[in-house]
Amino acid sequence: MALKDKAIRLRIDRFEKGSNYSSLKPSRALLFILSVIVVTAVAFGLRLRAVDRLPIDYDEDDYLGAAQRYALAIKSGDMRGIIEYEFNYEHPPLTKLVYGLSILGQPDAPLIPERLPTAPPASDLPRPHFEYARLTSAILGSLEVFSLALLNPLSALLLGIHTWQIKYTSQIMLEPLPALTSLLVVLCYHRARQNEKRAALWLALSALALGITAASKYVYAIVGVVILVDWLWEQFCPRRENHAKRSLPAWGQIIAWGLLAVAVFWAFDPRLWIDPLIRLRESLFFHGGYARSEQVVRAGFPAWQQLVWLAGPVPWHPGVFLATLDLYILLFAIVGFKRLWRRYRVFALWLAITGLFLLIWPTKWPQYLLTITAPLCLSAAEGVRSAIFEPLRRKARVVSGEFFPRNSWRELRRAWLWLLPGAVVLMLIAFYPMIYQAAMALTDFNTISIRDGIAGGVWREVWRGATGQAEPLDVNMWEYFDRFRRPTSTDVHYIGWRLIASLFSGGLPDLLVFDILWTALSVTIQAGLGVAVAMLLHPEGVRLKRFWRTVFILPWAIPEFVGALIWRRLLEPEKGWLAVIENSPFDALLAKFWHDPDTTLLLLLVAATWYGFPFIMLAATAGLKLIPGEVYEAAAIDGASRWMQFRHVTWPLLWPLLMPAVLIRAIFAFNQFYLFYAMQTNFPTLTFATLSYYVFSPTFGGQFAISAAINLFTVVVLVILIWWFNRISRAAEGVTYVG
Amino acid sequence: MSGRKKPWEKIARQSGLLLVGLFVLLPIWGLVYLAFEGGTIGWPSTFRLWPEVPTPRVFSQVWAQASQSLPFLALLKNSLFVSGGAALSSVGLGASMAYAFARYRFPGRQQGLFALLVGALLPPVASMTPLYVLLTILELRTTLLGLTIVYTAFAMPFCVWNMRSAFQAVPKDLEEAAFLDGASALEAFWRISLPIAMPSIAVAALIAFLIAYSEFAMGWLFVEKSADVTLAMAVSGALGISTFSGSLLSALAILMSLPVVLLFLLLQRYLLDRLMFASVGNE
Repeated sequence: MALKDKAIRLRIDRFEKGSNYSSLKPSRALLFILSVIVVTAVAFGLRLRAVDRLPIDYDEDDYLGAAQRYALAIKSGDMRGIIEYEFNYEHPPLTKLVYGLSILGQPDAPLIPERLPTAPPASDLPRPHFEYARLTSAILGSLEVFSLALLNPLSALLLGIHTWQIKYTSQIMLEPLPALTSLLVVLCYHRARQNEKRAALWLALSALALGITAASKYVYAIVGVVILVDWLWEQFCPRRENHAKRSLPAWGQIIAWGLLAVAVFWAFDPRLWIDPLIRLRESLFFHGGYARSEQVVRAGFPAWQQLVWLAGPVPWHPGVFLATLDLYILLFAIVGFKRLWRRYRVFALWLAITGLFLLIWPTKWPQYLLTITAPLCLSAAEGVRSAIFEPLRRKARVVSGEFFPRNSWRELRRAWLWLLPGAVVLMLIAFYPMIYQAAMALTDFNTISIRDGIAGGVWREVWRGATGQAEPLDVNMWEYFDRFRRPTSTDVHYIGWRLIASLFSGGLPDLLVFDILWTALSVTIQAGLGVAVAMLLHPEGVRLKRFWRTVFILPWAIPEFVGALIWRRLLEPEKGWLAVIENSPFDALLAKFWHDPDTTLLLLLVAATWYGFPFIMLAATAGLKLIPGEVYEAAAIDGASRWMQFRHVTWPLLWPLLMPAVLIRAIFAFNQFYLFYAMQTNFPTLTFATLSYYVFSPTFGGQFAISAAINLFTVVVLVILIWWFNRISRAAEGVTYVG
Repeated sequence: MSGRKKPWEKIARQSGLLLVGLFVLLPIWGLVYLAFEGGTIGWPSTFRLWPEVPTPRVFSQVWAQASQSLPFLALLKNSLFVSGGAALSSVGLGASMAYAFARYRFPGRQQGLFALLVGALLPPVASMTPLYVLLTILELRTTLLGLTIVYTAFAMPFCVWNMRSAFQAVPKDLEEAAFLDGASALEAFWRISLPIAMPSIAVAALIAFLIAYSEFAMGWLFVEKSADVTLAMAVSGALGISTFSGSLLSALAILMSLPVVLLFLLLQRYLLDRLMFASVGNE
């Protein structure tokens, strides 16, 4: 089986390597061109729809106002007016100039007043100008999709339907131009790396695009850093395979590339033609100050807010976007990242470096997402390939051959008696409830209708709905959160798929992201500490071994709820033990910590680690005992250092034994309940809880249907994550066996 | 390996352990402090390393009357019935299934494993309503047996999943050797696989036990008679009452965790050592 997989993968790789569009067979080339056209057309259509329907947003008036003044200056040949235009100096002028050019031929309209950046959105903007500028935005956005389609049509389709991308490339924002040119920077560099003959030309084009990018909006110039990192990476740790084929720019070339980019930047930023350094400084320094300004701080977003934006479609404009698949693009991007790294490393670096930047940078406005959507969609396309297309292709092969090995039915005959008792019980008490959940999510079952629901109302309604006897009731279940709109009917009603659909298109992005983040962080920390402690205790002759092991197991013996309660007693601001120590710095520190979402997460993680690491420690202890001592002797003979021993001997052998424990902890962490029950946080706009706690929390008050839908969603997300985890960890296992 | 240890390494090792030990013991010390501080209402508002007048008074109070009128031992009995029952039934009913998944390559095996995993994924509170309905129909809802069934439902997929990997780790040739000696499949399972996999099975049972032992949200939903309250429910209930006392809660929590600590000590002594023995025996 494994061998077959490998053979297939080899063929697929070969196929994909050949899929470079310059070397395609005519029929494939036609298909390729067709898909590029279709994808671009879809993207343009969706943007036109958004241009038409989106309301006027913050800042659109600022940029259009600037565009009007630039247009006037160009018309009257007033060069100085362009250079000296001060308003909105924090953003370089190029994008606004482009909007200015787009309305150049239009009749004059009243100038939009220059207002503070905190001002609410304008109620109306002068008409032909507004439409032309938005159209320009949409065209630039579609061009970006087109450029990505040249590399990979599927990813371009995802970029075309990504709702955040549509929103900010249809409104008069600064994003469309730098988003397009930053993609061109990386595409040209990628091309330069592949095409030895014209490498210098492509590199020059990349520098040109980089200069334009920086002159359009500073933050997008981060792709320049990405390219430098990729180049340095290749310079110092080149990949062995295919290396001969790829061309790497020389030191001189890369320096020339940088200088050219700077020159282009200067040339395209007229404000810098006078006093460049001083003006650049004040323009850049604005952002450092703004990030600490009240407007940003008051928004109170956690560090990971950009992930929250990505985990759901744009929430503010119902009816504008036709496809709301943003959540799945994010999930597939996670799945596809490894492949992205293998096939398009510079894009993977783009995703990683810019993602890290967005995580650190305090300003969390969602338009910054456009710095990252292009590589994100490429990663998602790779994810779709590896998670859907390839397994399908493989399955098709297996089905055409032999689905079950010949004697497997005989195996079933031997196995069924063993399976029977467990299967019957599980069916009844584990799987039946799950099916019941699915049924509940199709109804409006809640506390008021509990009697009817329990007496079989849920099944009755689902049956009626499925057989067409009942029309789905038109309700917005989320409104039931509102005390005054609680349902009054004592009967259960069929509501169709709307509840499930709203949830599965990313209805609770903040909770979902928090939950996944929480799981990843807490399990990583627990595993790290657990393995470390197990290794400290492992060698023979460690003193007090039994004593320590008993001590470390203690947290596990105390119910999680009590443990969390005690941690709250310790860490609470004002009343907590650490806070009431006289003259201690803890009081102020804790108060500050609990006010900030990021440090609050840290405090919660402390409690979670305390409770969770003993389990991993036990598993690691048992695992370490299973590793035969001879392998270490062999490693010692080879002169391996401690770290190398751990990295190349202990960890690969321990990991498969540890994986079930890690998986268990991960599932427990994803569904963690008592910790959040005991340590409730109090942020007005944030919910710090897992989905599981949210389902049960008091704000929720007996909306059984909604909790059922959330539970279904939880299971689906967990299945995806575990499938992915299983895959990457199994891949790691494979490596150890080969070596 | 042990002969080459340098003294500074020993010190580094022990101080590392001490650091983790402090982290672990910090809240536990808080718990002990509270319990011996001796029962005022609410949480104490000052900080001390050790209570002024340590007193075991609260313990005797909890021992005699842990929840409403029930003594501690009655609650412990309920808890042990529910969690022990859940652990035994999920391991007992699941073992043969896990063995089949580990040993036979029957059609639908992958799908079955997947379904098992999905079953293990649901948070306990998730299947609340369906089980409520199911147990109402079976007229078991308010009994301790009903609660045991509920906890079994959560724990069993986990246990099966874990025991499967334990059985898989048992080398097949050991069983094949038994077959050559004329043993039946059942005998091979009973005499060879089960003993070798026993430590992991015990760990699975322990997890099941702990899930049930510390769960209370479901408990409050299902249990109606005050005589059927479990320890975890009593602890959570102690928070809600008007005469709430931090000391009382801590004393109850300490008493509640003692059986688990004992269980751990037993397991550590017998299982970790046996696990090592089993693995050495394989080679």
